[in-house]
Amino acid sequence: MFFWKHTKKGEPQPRGLDDISPSLRTNLHWLKEDIFVHDQTIAYRGFKTSDPHPRECVLIYADNMVKHEYLSQFVLRPMMRSSLPKHLRGEELAHYAAERILESDGAEFITRYSEIGDKLMDGVGVILIDGCPVAVVVDAQGWAKRAVTEPPSESVVRGPRQGFSEDLGVNISLVRLRLSSPNFKTRFLHVGTQSKTRVAILYLDNVTSMELVEEVERRIKAIDIDAVLDSGYIQELIQDSPYSPFPTIGQTERPDVVAAKVLEGRVAVLVDGSPFALTMPYLLVEAFQANEDYYNHWITATFHRLVRYISFFVTTATPAIYIALISYHPQLIPTNLVISISAARKNVPFPGIVEVIAMGLVFEILREGGVRLPRPIGQAISIVGAIVLGDAAVSASLVSAPMIIVVGLTGVAGFVVPSLNDLAVLIRLSLVLLAAALGLYGFVFGVIAFLLLLSSMESFGVPYLSTMTTLVPQDLKDTVVRVPWWQMVLRPRYLASKDRQRLQGQAGRTDR
Amino acid sequence: MKRVNLVRLTILTLICVLLAGCWDYIEIETLEFVFGLGVDRVTPEYIVILEMVKTSGGGQHAQVEPKVLSTSSGSVSSGGAALSNVAGLRAFWPHAYVFLMSEQVAREGILDAVEYIARSRQVRGTVWVFVTKDCTVEEVFKSKPPVANSVSEHLNAISLMQENISGFIPLQVWELNQDLTKEGISPVLPTIRLVHERGELVPVVEGTAVLKGDRMVGWLDGHESDILCLLKGVFERGFFVINTEVGEHGRFPITYEIVGNQVDIKPLVKDGRPAAAIKLTMQFGVEEVGRAPINFRDMQQTDSVEAQLATHFKDRIRELLHKVQVEFNADVLGIGQLFRRKQPEAWRHFGSDWDVYFPDLPVELEVRCQVVLTGLSSAPLRVRD
Repeated sequence: MFFWKHTKKGEPQPRGLDDISPSLRTNLHWLKEDIFVHDQTIAYRGFKTSDPHPRECVLIYADNMVKHEYLSQFVLRPMMRSSLPKHLRGEELAHYAAERILESDGAEFITRYSEIGDKLMDGVGVILIDGCPVAVVVDAQGWAKRAVTEPPSESVVRGPRQGFSEDLGVNISLVRLRLSSPNFKTRFLHVGTQSKTRVAILYLDNVTSMELVEEVERRIKAIDIDAVLDSGYIQELIQDSPYSPFPTIGQTERPDVVAAKVLEGRVAVLVDGSPFALTMPYLLVEAFQANEDYYNHWITATFHRLVRYISFFVTTATPAIYIALISYHPQLIPTNLVISISAARKNVPFPGIVEVIAMGLVFEILREGGVRLPRPIGQAISIVGAIVLGDAAVSASLVSAPMIIVVGLTGVAGFVVPSLNDLAVLIRLSLVLLAAALGLYGFVFGVIAFLLLLSSMESFGVPYLSTMTTLVPQDLKDTVVRVPWWQMVLRPRYLASKDRQRLQGQAGRTDR
Repeated sequence: MKRVNLVRLTILTLICVLLAGCWDYIEIETLEFVFGLGVDRVTPEYIVILEMVKTSGGGQHAQVEPKVLSTSSGSVSSGGAALSNVAGLRAFWPHAYVFLMSEQVAREGILDAVEYIARSRQVRGTVWVFVTKDCTVEEVFKSKPPVANSVSEHLNAISLMQENISGFIPLQVWELNQDLTKEGISPVLPTIRLVHERGELVPVVEGTAVLKGDRMVGWLDGHESDILCLLKGVFERGFFVINTEVGEHGRFPITYEIVGNQVDIKPLVKDGRPAAAIKLTMQFGVEEVGRAPINFRDMQQTDSVEAQLATHFKDRIRELLHKVQVEFNADVLGIGQLFRRKQPEAWRHFGSDWDVYFPDLPVELEVRCQVVLTGLSSAPLRVRD
């Protein structure tokens, strides 16, 4: 397409091939035979303005992307009922139509074919008037949208029930509703040479470090990919430590979580077509925080946090410790327990390590089988798996009863920290293999290796374990404990916010 | 360059795993858990007796039952190893609770038997040690404790309860090792005997075997052991029934409970000869008065009771001291050890001849008894005539 030339703004523009011609027939020819050739979703509605000086016009729109009633009621009807004065020439026609006739709320003027192409895909109507080298763009977006519902991946008992949908505009409005301040800023970018997906960077102008915003923008701009179908693409393309299984960018389906993260001084990224917002930087502590922690009483919230940390340890370490103990260190198990484990394993044909890996695999198969199925079938699978398989396997002495307990405990504890659940499987497996080869020595070996990995990671310049390794009270306030709101005086130090003060009532306490 | 590093890292990891690992992988069900170990002696051989638990069933019907195996062998360890052959499973020692020796082994010297237990990597230092009295070790292991699954668990439970039942001083292997190697103290071991209980033989822990060096020299019965407990300061709770004179009404058996007990043994040098001063303070609660017309609110009566208690205990301590000094010449209280610690100069002088000095060692005895708990909030029960 030779006429799709990009010219710099501000230069005096000679009339080029990309410019809209005053002749309606020429315009239609270019559009139908070149730009939108073979595209049958583009509708061309020809009409004439009324007497005494009828003028030929065409309304162009992409089918199913617009509200048809809207176009016919507020664009077509007024245009056909009124007439354009005879003395008007060229651009004046478009301006007259927009100012005096069109009843739509948004109207823009464009002068190039390439812009028509871009705009039509956003779901607008484009009016071309014979004799006028300017096209009028009227807003009429209206494609199928999902309602704002509670996100299935992050349901809460106490807290707002709104979740993001696939529409970027709606999503931004959901966040803006919570941060009604002129300091709340949104920067738009387009990513994807084919998809031209709109990506929004959300931050608070008076809080967030500008370097962080610039860095996020720089990374997103550097993306050169054909299409972005979900925020997961962006997440993987811009995150730090891409080879590490630990996430360095957070994701959430909840506008309240995005608002909270932005208030702390983080940056959020919303991607059109994805209900998952990204937040960055993302640290390990955030995996153990839930939005409900901040809505419930701080003592219960702290307790639940503790439960999450313990559960993560349980889900990653239990099978490894079990294998190490029964295979290398039976002397460390209390006597009564060791006897009962020994008795339970008496007729089991497989060694402990085979049992652990096989049962772990069975659990993962059951989980994977249930995840993407409709809920009633998914439940049937878990019942068959848990009760029938588990019980029958023990009765048939294929596996020992303690192993079922270990696998069950491991599986259930994994769901307590959902954001790390997929990764917990990998940690668990590597620790089990190490424990099977080297006993508790191997287990500790593996834990140290993971600790080294975690301490070497960072997210947007912030060390991944920040606040877990400090003794500064204001940095510890939101880690293992969640201190009461009146003590959350400052924003996290590691985010280097412009304004660290959160609670204004506590003057003079910025020194911490 | 990256690939080379990765290869190196993989090789290093494999070396760590394959060479440096403790490759003693075992399957837990192939182990036979030893609960108790016993040694008897039929000269010239040792009889090694193991109490193991047999686990069977598997699945949801797991069962545990004890079984006793014995073999005769030239040494304790070879006997233990030989029993693995009999059992068909590897004997696993770390969960053992008790170690039993027969009287004959104790009289001939326990070192041979205990040395293996102390040396073994597998047997824990927390194993309880006992000497059997008037029965063989095998008979003890084959007796039927009324509640516990196995004899070893029964003995373990009793040893842990010592503070509530008294009558013996429980000892673990590591403590025995310390006592054996220290100067100026003679180890004492609790004894086990069998009693008939509804047609079954039941093992009872009562009394003490007194050792001199590593050889047993005599027995103390349960009552003497109580007094020994008091002097060693390991008496936590226990009852004494003492015939107490109540005014002009005569003597009545009253049960006292010891609620507190402080003992202080001081080594002294008098006229160039070693001596010792024992100061014992005991607090009593009155547990059972029965028909005795006694009123503890009356200070005179209480004072009289306290004086009687002091006399009673003084007499019994004298008896015990006489027995260990003159009959056994075994320093069970560790007075020599105290000398060594507190008066090293004197010990350097007497230490080598402690066996000569000990039987005639003059002991000053001071016993104070206090009745602190009367167990009554009002006047005692009286039957009206």
